[in-house]
Amino acid sequence: MREAFIHGCGDYYAAVETDDALADLKPLVKEATGQPVRRVGRFIQLALIGAGRCLGGRTAPDDTAVYFTSGRGDMEVTVEVMEALFRDGEAPKPLHFINTVSNAACFYISKHFGLHGRSTFLCNRYFSFETALQLALFDLSSGVVKHALVGSVDIVTPPLPIQRRRLHLSSDTPVAEACHWLLLSADPTGARGAIAASSVFGDRAAALEFARKADAPFGAVGQFGENEAFLRDAGVSEIFDYRAGRAHYDSQSGAAISSFLDAGSGALLHVNADPDGRHGVMLVRKTTP
Amino acid sequence: MNGVRFLGAGLHTHLGRGVAANLDALERAPPRPVLTSVPLGAGLEHVPSMPLADAPLADFETRLMRVAVEVAEEAIAAAGLTEAQRRETALFVGTSSLDISITEAVYRRELAAGLDAHPLTSNSSMGNLGNELRRALKLGGSDFTFNTACTASANALLYADAMVRAGHAKTALVLGLEAFNAITALGFQSLDLLARDGMKPFDAGRRGLVLGEGCSALVVGMDNGAGFRLRGGANACDPYGISAANPDGSTIAGVIADALRAAKLDASSLRAIKTHGTASLLNDEAEAAGLTRLFKAPLPVCALKPFIGHTFGACGLNELILLCGAVERGFIPGTPGIGASGEELGVTLTQGPTPVEPGAFLLNYFGFGGNNSALVVANA
Repeated sequence: MREAFIHGCGDYYAAVETDDALADLKPLVKEATGQPVRRVGRFIQLALIGAGRCLGGRTAPDDTAVYFTSGRGDMEVTVEVMEALFRDGEAPKPLHFINTVSNAACFYISKHFGLHGRSTFLCNRYFSFETALQLALFDLSSGVVKHALVGSVDIVTPPLPIQRRRLHLSSDTPVAEACHWLLLSADPTGARGAIAASSVFGDRAAALEFARKADAPFGAVGQFGENEAFLRDAGVSEIFDYRAGRAHYDSQSGAAISSFLDAGSGALLHVNADPDGRHGVMLVRKTTP
Repeated sequence: MNGVRFLGAGLHTHLGRGVAANLDALERAPPRPVLTSVPLGAGLEHVPSMPLADAPLADFETRLMRVAVEVAEEAIAAAGLTEAQRRETALFVGTSSLDISITEAVYRRELAAGLDAHPLTSNSSMGNLGNELRRALKLGGSDFTFNTACTASANALLYADAMVRAGHAKTALVLGLEAFNAITALGFQSLDLLARDGMKPFDAGRRGLVLGEGCSALVVGMDNGAGFRLRGGANACDPYGISAANPDGSTIAGVIADALRAAKLDASSLRAIKTHGTASLLNDEAEAAGLTRLFKAPLPVCALKPFIGHTFGACGLNELILLCGAVERGFIPGTPGIGASGEELGVTLTQGPTPVEPGAFLLNYFGFGGNNSALVVANA
């Protein structure tokens, strides 16, 4: 598979420590998109903020494809609709119901940034960012797509004790809202780096075989089930800890890429694993200035 | 000729349980929808629907997985996959509502029991359904769950086919899944988009859709046989409106043209068209305008939602399996008395089983969020 070159990153991260500590996203949406966006919740707002920051005021080619993922989706609107329906006996409001459809966020991104390429909302239990990236790389590699926006959004829906129950976390686990977006293309000109691979392997041995060939000086472990022993076995010489101090949210793998482009050098091997032993591996290379 | 082909299918809809039962029913006129009662507060709402045959709307906490595994096993058996092949099979799920029917049932039960109940505490992971299905079916490959509204399982098939073709997976199991749930039922009721007298696509009397339940599975792999294959397809986003395509038909014509280009065919090469045909005022208008832009010569045009209802994220695969199966039996399904005149929109639907030769067939899918897809399948 050919490399996909990184032409932009857009991130948002905020730990949420109390129920009333959610940041007001409206000014950030306006800043990122150049206009206010009404009647959308935090999930769509964060999608717009991430995509807007990733584009950084540039106009993306109108055939840019969108690959969007989330661990839990728009919990805010789903919880609102379910509580109204089952607890309060009220039918869903039309706009709320429409926004329960996950790819509503893809629509707002396409509309606000003038895109009409492929559009995909994709989910995976343990490898959400990895599989979204895998599809984008696949399309870029086959030439079906020339430019791709790949991103994730995870929101917090208070009260925090219930949010932690929904995520099956202990009562003292810090939680956060975040989004991570990348603008990719097959063109290396002016790129900050490249995604050399994003794949899910059936077992540790297959992942290790790939990882050893990657010859990456830096390694990072994701939030699910793999430890630094894998990276040592793969021949990585230095651990890149992008997760230190980061509160919990689902699609943390997305943070590894922009963090590495900001602070790392050479190449980064990132690994996650699920309870069945499948391994999700991303290989990122940073362009030498 | 060696290539990526459809190796085995499974299907469960309102028409029946199993591919053969569905195809038998497709030779008759569409059944009438039923009214399903959905609790809302102290009362009941009655929504027009076409629930799964032989699968009572009960035991919601286990029903979805039971149906999905049975349909997937039908496809796997038809394809003759060995245990070793299962371990190298990737899973591509297309669904709109994921496992929300289970989440609803748990929340309802906890509320009724007076527990400290909150939505989504039993499961909030969007990837849980794909993960559980992969484990239940003992598939060892990657899993991808596409959640792009009514195009979801069509998009899942597009990627499954491409990944097998490129050697990224040896075999793929594509699964379309849509189970009855209160949010979807009452959401469409609130949008005033449900029709009690059945779906009448492209008809002057069209009033909207009927909720359909459906589950379909298709094994895709390399084979040198002569069966159906995906010859090409396309997906694009139409930013015109979140719940309706551009009524001038331009974006719909665009995605169909892209699909034909991918299939290396022109419009005159097709044997027939399966419309998306949601029987809503605006969407049928947009689809008709798109078809009129591209197709100048008359072709058999059919709609399958009158038979099974709108099965949302699963309609891509449900309707593909129905169409391919009918063509293998030598006919295009027809809907007597529905879309007969073509006066209003310029699209006339087949009025009964219509003989057809092997060839290439277009299938349209257009979803919420401006997600438009078109597939071209061929058996010659």
